[in-house]
Amino acid sequence: MFGKRLRGLFCVAATLFVLSGQTRADEPGVTPDSISIGAFGPITGPAAYIGLAGRDGAIMAIKEINAAGGINGRKLSMTFEDDGHSPTKALAAVKKLIDQDHVFMIFCVAGSNGTLGTIDFVRENGRVMYVSFASAPGVTWPFARNMFRGGTTEVPRYGELYAEYLHDYLNATKIAILNGREEYPKNEGDALTAQLKNWYQIAPVKRAEFNIGDKDFTPQLLEIQGADPQVIAIFGNPAEAAIAMRQAKELGMNQRFFVGPTMVDQGLLSAAKQSAEGTSGFALIPLLPTSSNPEMKSWLAKWKQEYPNLPAGRPNTFDLLAYADIFVVADALKRAGKDLTTDKLIAALEATHEYRVGAIATPRTFTKKHHIGNLRLQAMQVRNGEWEPVPFESKRESDILKRYE
Amino acid sequence: MTWRIILQLALSGLSIGSIYALVGLALVLPFKASGIVNFAQGEIVTFGAYLALILSGLGLPYLAVVPLVLIGAAALGMVIERLLIRPIVNQPEFTLVMVTFAIGFIIKAAIRLHWQDNTFSVEAPFVGPPLALGALRLNPAYLVFILSTVAVVAALFVFFGYSRFGKAMRATALDPIAAELMGIRIGSVFSAAWALSTMLGAFVGLLLGPVIGINPEIGHLILKGLIAAVIGGFSSLGGAVAGGLLLGLLETYAGAFFGATFKNLVPFGVLILLLLLRPQGLAGASSARRA
Repeated sequence: MFGKRLRGLFCVAATLFVLSGQTRADEPGVTPDSISIGAFGPITGPAAYIGLAGRDGAIMAIKEINAAGGINGRKLSMTFEDDGHSPTKALAAVKKLIDQDHVFMIFCVAGSNGTLGTIDFVRENGRVMYVSFASAPGVTWPFARNMFRGGTTEVPRYGELYAEYLHDYLNATKIAILNGREEYPKNEGDALTAQLKNWYQIAPVKRAEFNIGDKDFTPQLLEIQGADPQVIAIFGNPAEAAIAMRQAKELGMNQRFFVGPTMVDQGLLSAAKQSAEGTSGFALIPLLPTSSNPEMKSWLAKWKQEYPNLPAGRPNTFDLLAYADIFVVADALKRAGKDLTTDKLIAALEATHEYRVGAIATPRTFTKKHHIGNLRLQAMQVRNGEWEPVPFESKRESDILKRYE
Repeated sequence: MTWRIILQLALSGLSIGSIYALVGLALVLPFKASGIVNFAQGEIVTFGAYLALILSGLGLPYLAVVPLVLIGAAALGMVIERLLIRPIVNQPEFTLVMVTFAIGFIIKAAIRLHWQDNTFSVEAPFVGPPLALGALRLNPAYLVFILSTVAVVAALFVFFGYSRFGKAMRATALDPIAAELMGIRIGSVFSAAWALSTMLGAFVGLLLGPVIGINPEIGHLILKGLIAAVIGGFSSLGGAVAGGLLLGLLETYAGAFFGATFKNLVPFGVLILLLLLRPQGLAGASSARRA
């Protein structure tokens, strides 16, 4: 009798042991001493300033975390793939990371263009994808348990902030939009157009588009000039925006410029120079790398120690965003515990409330209802050749989270 | 659309067309001499811009930078021709095309290793406030683009028409075997054609860098240069210039009338139409070899 019970107990224990062992063994990318993160973004092509910075910022954070003991006894490792800012290449990169490299989760430092190519696959696959930069609505809407957005915010939120800033703070009612034809700048232009209509019942006086790599914007600028706007909102990459700004001044256009967050950076200023004076826009980070804030100075010193030979213009916004977001992920991984699973990571991320690595980052909050980590942007303006904070605070209640209720 | 806008667009189209024309010329030169289309020509533009950036960083004024960049580019052209092209010059055209593509990728990748994709600028004396021509505005840099193209075409006309070496290049282009039998050192002619071509490419980089900023994609002009050359007939220097200017004007007016989508569509449509009606291009001989 006793022998039978003992055998029964042994069988149950053995089954539990095998099952628990199976759970750990089946969790890809997690070994007793490491957690493998797959990352992708553009490190070649016109948007490489995003991916290179994202990769470097993330690697620096991982090194710091590992040097401090890692995550519950495990070290983080990262495998990086180039997406060339292309949706198809991004999908190939993510499939490789998941199917061949068997990573535990995906950390995305791609732009919206690349990210959009991966969304359907990742949603279906169920692996956690933490998106640091892309603002395309499809990342977080419709809601998916495994998709998170960190440093950037959902593009309709851009629309809200842009519209409020332009209409209420700059008192502009005649606004022209000049945007690139790729996903991200087009989304920004759409969001501003929609929000100007929703909140203020006005439409842009002119909307024109350009292609990546364009070197002449005269046709678009002459169209805009004819509409006589008070502000010209430009959405795209700094290289094209700088040319457009210079050509606008050459055509005698004295309107103020407003730009998207990818351009609130030193890159635009070094290319556009005097033409950028007075330009305003929103930054995704509370402090730019040029800030004299002691925390930023200390971070900058660490960064320069890690990357002593990188060129002018770096670190940029994306170094900072990726760095801060890896810490958000690491914090959740710690709270997810030693027996790490995708479900536990999702639960830990959803419990993240106002977490930030320091003054260099905006706080991130996720809930069970929404996975938009950040709704705050910092208004900035170019004064004497430098981006400086503007005392603008949003007074209108955001509509973005209502749809998740 | 007012006359002012139409004329303003013409100025803009001619200035960007001048850049396409110079790239087109840089493509036609080695093709005429050795029958090879250099698909790395866009990256030669980039090379010129970055060499200017390096030299400016050393404190040299723009006017001192220009000859040094041209000398550096000529040296690069001769090295490419002597070490990479000449050993395989008798291989199938596809092999040669792939080699020039590879050269371009290597140049761009090497640049990215150090400068990544950040945008830089260099100071140049022709960058300044716009000139007012009545109601029209003209960026002095664009005037420099147009005048430079005119000067380059005139110089090439004199070189090919009256200089001994220029005539040797023309003879080699017509019949390399006969030219060699007449005592022309065709190896030197090939080297010179490549040197001239890379100098032209780097010259475009020198012109563009101060105006639009320097990044690894500054030389993203190969397709436009190719269209300019094809419109012109690929064997005619004057044709390449005409093709470049026509392309610049078409692109600018298409953008103004139909929007950004059609800015690229219309020139390609015209290219196809032109090739259907006149496969040898505007100024090419009917026996011109296909690129």
